[in-house]
Amino acid sequence: MIQIGKDTKTLICIGTGGVGKTTMAASIGVGLALTGKKILVLTIDPSKRLAQALGLKPDGDLHMVTLPLAAGENTSGELWSCVIDHKKAFEHFIREGARGIASDEKVNQLLQNKLYQQLSGKLSGSQDFTSLITLYRYVISNQFDFVILDTPPAQHTWSFLQAPEKIAHLFNDGITSWFREDAQSSSLFKKILNAGTAQVLKALELLTGSEFIRELSAFFLAIQKWQKPLENYVMNCHRLLISQQTEFVLVTGLDPSRLKEAEKLSNEIRTQGYRLTSVIINRVPEWLISVDFKKVNANKNLRLNQIIQYYQSLENELQKRIHSFSSRQNVYKCHEFSQTTEHVQQLKENFKSIQRL
Amino acid sequence: MVKKAHFVTGKGGVGKSLVAALLARLYSLKTQQILLTELAEISFYKDYLNLNEISYTPTPWMPGVDVSQWSGEDCLKEYALHLLKVKKLYELFFENPVTRSLVDVAPGLSELAIMGKVTSSPRRHGPAMDYDQLVIDAFATGHFLALLGSPRAMAETIKFGPMGEQSRSIDKLIRDPQYTHIHIVTLAEELPITETLELCQSLKKDFAITPTIYLNKLLQLSAKDVSELSAKAQDILLSEIEAEENAKKILKKNKLHFIELPLVTSLSTPEILEALIAQLSHHSHSPEPL
Ligand SMILES: Nc1ncnc2c1ncn2[C@@H]1O[C@H](COP(=O)(O)OP(=O)(O)OP(=O)(O)O)[C@@H](O)[C@H]1O
Ligand SMILES: Nc1ncnc2c1ncn2[C@@H]1O[C@H](COP(=O)(O)OP(=O)(O)O)[C@@H](O)[C@H]1O
Ligand SMILES: [Mg+2]
Ligand SMILES: [Mg+2]
Repeated sequence: MIQIGKDTKTLICIGTGGVGKTTMAASIGVGLALTGKKILVLTIDPSKRLAQALGLKPDGDLHMVTLPLAAGENTSGELWSCVIDHKKAFEHFIREGARGIASDEKVNQLLQNKLYQQLSGKLSGSQDFTSLITLYRYVISNQFDFVILDTPPAQHTWSFLQAPEKIAHLFNDGITSWFREDAQSSSLFKKILNAGTAQVLKALELLTGSEFIRELSAFFLAIQKWQKPLENYVMNCHRLLISQQTEFVLVTGLDPSRLKEAEKLSNEIRTQGYRLTSVIINRVPEWLISVDFKKVNANKNLRLNQIIQYYQSLENELQKRIHSFSSRQNVYKCHEFSQTTEHVQQLKENFKSIQRL
Repeated sequence: MVKKAHFVTGKGGVGKSLVAALLARLYSLKTQQILLTELAEISFYKDYLNLNEISYTPTPWMPGVDVSQWSGEDCLKEYALHLLKVKKLYELFFENPVTRSLVDVAPGLSELAIMGKVTSSPRRHGPAMDYDQLVIDAFATGHFLALLGSPRAMAETIKFGPMGEQSRSIDKLIRDPQYTHIHIVTLAEELPITETLELCQSLKKDFAITPTIYLNKLLQLSAKDVSELSAKAQDILLSEIEAEENAKKILKKNKLHFIELPLVTSLSTPEILEALIAQLSHHSHSPEPL
């Protein structure tokens, strides 16, 4: 079982692709719901078996999951799950920011802008930003005791953590002011700025052509009115990431290059001020313990022997590295389970099998 | 001049970086000059290949193979310098904090710059590249499609001017089967296999490209091999054996050629590479990895 701070309301599972973030997010969701809490798990890309186990539908809506209760077991907890729909999430964000400020016509105009379309495609495609705004939306809704987020597969978790900063730059006053046609721009400071801006725009035009600049200015003119609310929204997302009520869980694999990456990542995340509290090393081959080595050696099956030794050397490698993590956060392991069964019951067992190292 | 560009992609953690290094080594054995490059903000190869240094400028790794690391920003800077010519204007452009953040988020700009760099040699654009082939340890599946599609997307948005022009010529090379080669690495597990099938479909539909597939980390055991182990160990290993058979069946059913790569039971990169090279050159009946 994994330890979670008593004030914590948000849990974010991070790690490189394929290590088991989605599986761990779901397992922790099931486990915590069974302790009587109301939980929401936001998933990105569940496997078919996991989707079946949780009854997930890729529609971006919330669905209640039937919890695996043993005979006579009872719980007041609830588990809700949702597969994030990134396109819908981005549009929700734009409409939310424009509410009460821009007319529907203006919003639709923006949604038509070619650069907006590419941008939303890129942002919802990279999924970092849309996952974050979806998380924020449900955390502030206060409907749940806990919201657990499974982050998108990324080469580096940095790109997820940087999402608010990157997008904030876009709505940043600086860029928008380049294209703003307001009358008060005659202060001396603005004049100096504008002289530089003119040259920068010229360089940009040389690089890209005038059509690009035209689209760009149409885009910025369209968003300038609701730039502030969008910026605030983004700032709030960032605050959520560094909040005392948010914990990060780093999921990693037994492979040495994975462990090394996780080590770097955990250092980086902490120096940047995020609260990384737990590391889960997933898919540890517990079955090795049950292997009778005398028998295997006598067996003379070369390939099988090599594979068993290989898994053992992975475990040894882990023992060597473990101290570099454990001084700063709780380190856990989760066993490799058989791929043939995937049921909510299995997720419950996963949660129970998460063991402090 | 660069005659071929090989992209290596696949789901996270399946072995893309390893296979990219492997291909670079294999091609260099045919006395070719190869540039192996990783598209990453933070280098993986520096530790993995035990290099002293890695940067935009290539460093030697093995005879015939140099390694470099390209970020979107590096590629964009090179492109800008080439076009703007005047160093001062270029500096003004890149040292302006507002421009920098624009470059950060401008949709598709850094992807376009990377694709521009990949195709710069045959387009005779930018500094000369003294390599026969490029091997690119590229992004994972979703982001990879965005990378490949960025020139077309930009060409559709920006029809005129240098940007439109460039984008079209880059896009043309991506669709040139002599030049662009795509390698998909997968594991015998549900998610990577599904992603592989979807990616193959997209590549065929949007780019008319047929990729080479590598089924990686195979145990290559049979049910008989594990029959004397404990029930628990059997349970796990049998499910993996079944998953391997299943994966092969699915790929065959979809008429996709694939190359089988065993799990090499070593933790040392040079040893893994050596074993896989030996494997690929022994099995002459397996389709040649281009
Ligand atoms: N056939 C193999 N035999 C043994 N080890 C392998 C094999 N293929 C990959 N590995 C190991 O698996 C690990 C993951 O591989 P690699 O880093 O190449 O994956 P990747 O797809 O590039 O990951 P990412 O998505 O994080 O970039 C590495 O430690 C690598 O050495
Ligand atoms: N402890 C485990 N034992 C066995 N298989 C696992 C375990 N954790 C994850 N998996 C499997 O690994 C695959 C990838 O897991 P997933 O949670 O989707 O990873 P991610 O979200 O990090 O990409 C899935 O098929 C999942 O069932
Ligand atoms: Mg996932
Ligand atoms: Mg890699």
